Amino acid sequence: MTQDLDPITLQVVGGALHSIADQMGNVLYRMSYSSIIRESQDLGAGLFDTAYNTLCESDSTPMHIGSLPGYLRGIAQTIPLDAWKPGDLVLHNHPYKGCSHSPDIAVVMPVFFEGELVGFSANTAHHVDIGAATPGLIIDVADMWSEGMILDAEKLYDEGVRNETLWRHIRNNTRVPGLVMGDLEAQIASAELGVRRFQELMARYGKATVIQATQQLMDYTERRMRAEIAKIPDGEYFAEGFLDDDGRNYGEHLAIKVKVIIDGDSATIDLTGSAPQTPTAFNVPFDGSTMVAAFFVFRAMLLDTYTTQDDIPANEGSFRPISVIAPKGCIFNPNMPAAAEARFCQIQRMADLVIKALAPVLPDRCTAGNAATLDFAAYSGVKDNGDYWVFLEVNEAAMGGRPFSDGPDTVEELMRNTRNNPLEDLGMHLPLICDRYEVRDDVEPGAGKFRGGQGVVKSQRYLTPGQTTHENDRHHDVPWGIFGGKPGATGKLELHNIHSGETRSLHAKLSGMPTQTGDVISYFSPSGGGYGDPLERDPAKVLDDVLDGFIRPESARRDYGVALVEVDDGYGWALDLAATESLRADLRA
Amino acid sequence: MIRVGVDVGGTFTDIVLERREPGTDPEVTVTKVPSTPHDQSEGVVAGVLQVCRLAGVEPAAINQLFHGTTVATNMVIERDGAHVGMLTTKGFRDILHMARHKRPHNFSLQFDVPWQSKPLVKRRDRLPIAERVMPPTGDIEVPLDEDEVRAAAELLKKRGVEAVAIGFLFSFLNDAHEKRAREIVQEVMPEAYICASSDVVNVIREYERFSSTAMNAYIGPRTALYLRRLETRLKENGIEAIVRIMQSNGGISTIENSAARPIGLLLSGPAGGVMGGRWTGEHCDAANVITIDIGGTSADISVIQDGELRIKNPRDTTVADLPVLAPMIDIDAIGAGGGSIAYVDAGGAFRVGPRSAGAAPGPACYGRGGTEPTVTDAQVALGRLDPERFLGGDLSIDKTLAEEAIRTHIAEPLGLSVTDAALGILKIINNNMALAINANSVAKGIDPRGFSLMGFGGAGPLHVVALGEMIQAKDMISPLQPGITAATGLLVGDLKYEYTQSVLATLDDAADETLASINAIADALTAEATAQLDADGIPPEKRRFTRVMECRYVGQGFELRAAMPEGALTQANKQAVIDAFFDVHKETYGHAFRDQTTEGVTLRVIASAEVDTLRLKELEKGGRANPTDAILYTADTVFDDGVATPTPRYDREKLKADDTVDGPAIITQHNSTTILPPGYVATVLGYGDIRISRT
Repeated sequence: MTQDLDPITLQVVGGALHSIADQMGNVLYRMSYSSIIRESQDLGAGLFDTAYNTLCESDSTPMHIGSLPGYLRGIAQTIPLDAWKPGDLVLHNHPYKGCSHSPDIAVVMPVFFEGELVGFSANTAHHVDIGAATPGLIIDVADMWSEGMILDAEKLYDEGVRNETLWRHIRNNTRVPGLVMGDLEAQIASAELGVRRFQELMARYGKATVIQATQQLMDYTERRMRAEIAKIPDGEYFAEGFLDDDGRNYGEHLAIKVKVIIDGDSATIDLTGSAPQTPTAFNVPFDGSTMVAAFFVFRAMLLDTYTTQDDIPANEGSFRPISVIAPKGCIFNPNMPAAAEARFCQIQRMADLVIKALAPVLPDRCTAGNAATLDFAAYSGVKDNGDYWVFLEVNEAAMGGRPFSDGPDTVEELMRNTRNNPLEDLGMHLPLICDRYEVRDDVEPGAGKFRGGQGVVKSQRYLTPGQTTHENDRHHDVPWGIFGGKPGATGKLELHNIHSGETRSLHAKLSGMPTQTGDVISYFSPSGGGYGDPLERDPAKVLDDVLDGFIRPESARRDYGVALVEVDDGYGWALDLAATESLRADLRA
Repeated sequence: MIRVGVDVGGTFTDIVLERREPGTDPEVTVTKVPSTPHDQSEGVVAGVLQVCRLAGVEPAAINQLFHGTTVATNMVIERDGAHVGMLTTKGFRDILHMARHKRPHNFSLQFDVPWQSKPLVKRRDRLPIAERVMPPTGDIEVPLDEDEVRAAAELLKKRGVEAVAIGFLFSFLNDAHEKRAREIVQEVMPEAYICASSDVVNVIREYERFSSTAMNAYIGPRTALYLRRLETRLKENGIEAIVRIMQSNGGISTIENSAARPIGLLLSGPAGGVMGGRWTGEHCDAANVITIDIGGTSADISVIQDGELRIKNPRDTTVADLPVLAPMIDIDAIGAGGGSIAYVDAGGAFRVGPRSAGAAPGPACYGRGGTEPTVTDAQVALGRLDPERFLGGDLSIDKTLAEEAIRTHIAEPLGLSVTDAALGILKIINNNMALAINANSVAKGIDPRGFSLMGFGGAGPLHVVALGEMIQAKDMISPLQPGITAATGLLVGDLKYEYTQSVLATLDDAADETLASINAIADALTAEATAQLDADGIPPEKRRFTRVMECRYVGQGFELRAAMPEGALTQANKQAVIDAFFDVHKETYGHAFRDQTTEGVTLRVIASAEVDTLRLKELEKGGRANPTDAILYTADTVFDDGVATPTPRYDREKLKADDTVDGPAIITQHNSTTILPPGYVATVLGYGDIRISRT
């Protein structure tokens, strides 16, 4: 039986692991070529043990944190532990063998120390184009074979020797080889760095100490998570909502049903009753995405890094108390060969519904309804020389009001946390120009003691003909208010042509829609719901919102019971506190 | 020639005075006065007058005064800058509100978004203006609506706005609209502080450029006011010296330039420390130095390679979570210092920092109401800091309070002895610092085994040997005056100005016209720099111009600095830039590509002029081993083996050049203590710095 390490060594090794994951993530996004990785940081990197437990992960986007063990277990179906050799490097993106979705290609290297396999260095990153049915993204396709290249535990390096045939094959099966190959090089550099650093760590502290430390660190994180779950009263908590449609059968809503079961210090999310799998790519890979969403939502609620002072190691321990039930054949656990590339809107909503279900017992840790969606846009076209240009854009939305503060406006919410692309960098390199990027002003955010976050509007204009795919949702189901707060607003998508002057509204999901010169596609994200009674909102904040253009003066009066008077100070409005008091008394009566 | 350096810190203002007469040894006088946060210039003047008294010189005799200030930085942190208005391109009013749309925390629902909750410019004061410059040519699609600009300026004036930032999209391609808008605003608001983004930093990426411009406007009026008040106050006290200000890039600049571009001052304080570290390194024949400046609540880490400062990648230069595109020395700050608090968290883990006991209540041993154990308490409990010698006896400390705090909060909950708990506190804090050093060195391609680790700031020499061991540094250095290294750094900087402009051109296939346009940009930037040096009265032979191209492989998003060849860029020498980029890419990431096209993104001209540097008197030669006359007394000290060992205390002022001291020993001076564990030997160098090596 192993002895527990002293708490000092534990901190020392824990800090070192965290630092390795950070360095791996840094090399990956700084070296990479595509904007989706280098700007948006749609990537994850870390170290894993031989039982495929996460030992540490880079703090990049939540969607990738917790997904890599699934990849490793998927690879194990092809490459058993004893088949690995030093210098091997494997690529993997099979959606039914643990991957998050097929564009997220993982690069995995074994770590050997003193001749023995001790773990893995791995990362995953979203590739711009893997040769799918439509450039960049897909929605309305037949099956997973329309997703493009499927790499099922393919060895790119065999004992340090690169398989040039496979390398050429990849280069020849993407629309943008310049980006994809450069990004793979960055992933390889990152994985190699992880191998080196893990070996150095073992050389320094000894293998047994490092392995023992990783076990204890996982136990520690698990203990912290279980302690928080145990504080929630045992019971079953419910919430439900719906998605717009699958991107083919427009307007046919898809139900999401969430039952959260709290049992002592364990939690189960039961998705039984949610919609069956769809005939399009609008399905969620179970291991690589459904599970990850479950891990995320409990960590964000219960071990919130803003309200928890302690830096809790990001490792497998936080996953252990959480389980998920999703019947085979449902949208959260599809059967092969259903396509399952467009999975983000569903898991955002699933996470948000878990928050809603638990809100009555966690009023200080929840939020009102978040936008909980994604607008993932692929803009593409063919250049004069016949080469493709493909640009993937993640458009942000907004969060719901919170127990102590307003919902953030125009922000990456829940499972995603990418960075936007500098408009000037895009303008210099693509036949696409941004015409508008602002806080949305055609609707108001959900009123509340703490209001919802306001959404975004972004308009991209084609300067040459091309096509677009949008993976998007939430044109129909409004983000809810909570504890007396008012609902937010749904999103919308519009097409306008600057030459013809025509404007028409679009469905949330588009599959390879052809576009003309002068076409402007405008995305309006949903806005968050309000938290608490709007009549309790600090009148000064209501005035701020009027002056800053988030709400109109008449809404201040109607929704918040705040009376304003016109003043000539260049801003136009001031508070009338006496009138506000009586107005609020009337509204309460 | 009399030169004075004044470094303002959170608690103390440090002053160094150097007097140099032809034919005599230089004389250096140092002192400290309390800082005056409400108006730093009060403390500055008090300190200058005090150092004059100590040195026996007339204030009027000071020729030059060099100043490191935290005025601008504090203004950002405390958010008490100017009321700023902004004019921006219609359709893009909220670039500052959205930032890069990434939230500051991955795993949080309750996080704060500082650029939304504490904006530099409120949404109501960001006014959209019809205008449109088109990429990639800079052609005008929508002309500037001058009436809108005028109306906006009138409105901002009515609102009592003090500063106006002008940020239009693609102004780095064509700044005509920004320039015209600035003229109009100036006409309407002649009193306002006005800056256009193409003036502040003429480079691609709208959020970072606008943020820098807004920041400049936000801190501009009050920084300018402070600098003017400082000048006046100095004059009123008979100090007629030329005043120069330390910049974040380690260069010094004029008051006028600092007032116009205050974003260059945001790291003015820590930069002095790195400059002092570099200068000390020269004295110690160490061109490769990692510096760690350890104070009460934080530690600043930087790397000097081949005698050169490392400059932060422009993608990483942020202040209070807001990007600021101003060249900064690559300094990493971490929340670890003497005041860092040790605790056992809810899950039973042993942690130290980043929470700090600060100056109030301070460590438990200060007896000022602090009950939680800090790093300083651990040093005291282990007998590494002697109560009677602490700050030369200026501050009384109580060892039993330190032990009590460690026992209650750490030792008993974890079942450790007080000694082991205290050793653990140091081990954990040192590990946190060592990881931060690695992040600023190993992670950036620097191998610490070829570097000396220099520890300064009050607490630096307490940790430097342990840290040097953890990062496997070549050796360790404790500078002559660890407590005032930042102030001495002020007297060793060059005058330095940087000018940048986006070029965005691929180099491998660059046509003659492209090279000509790059050369034209370089000439224009150099002309700007020359005008500035003319204004400073720098003779031509003292001027140096360095040009760097910030490059990336086409498609990448992060640039790295590549040196430019002498003279104009030609088809013949452009490969030199590509090769330089290849090398730095390889050093930074461990990989580089020969088959990829290199794109020059930003051209940067750095104009500098060497000014006098601080000189010290050489120390009298001693050459003694463990000189007994320098021993004050011997007392028990606990090192890593956990055993109390009788350890001599040496008075640093009594050590001479080439003296050696074997560990275990403790070398004390007024504001600092150097710990020498068993197995190490300290050698006193020619100017009084101490090099510590393994025996």
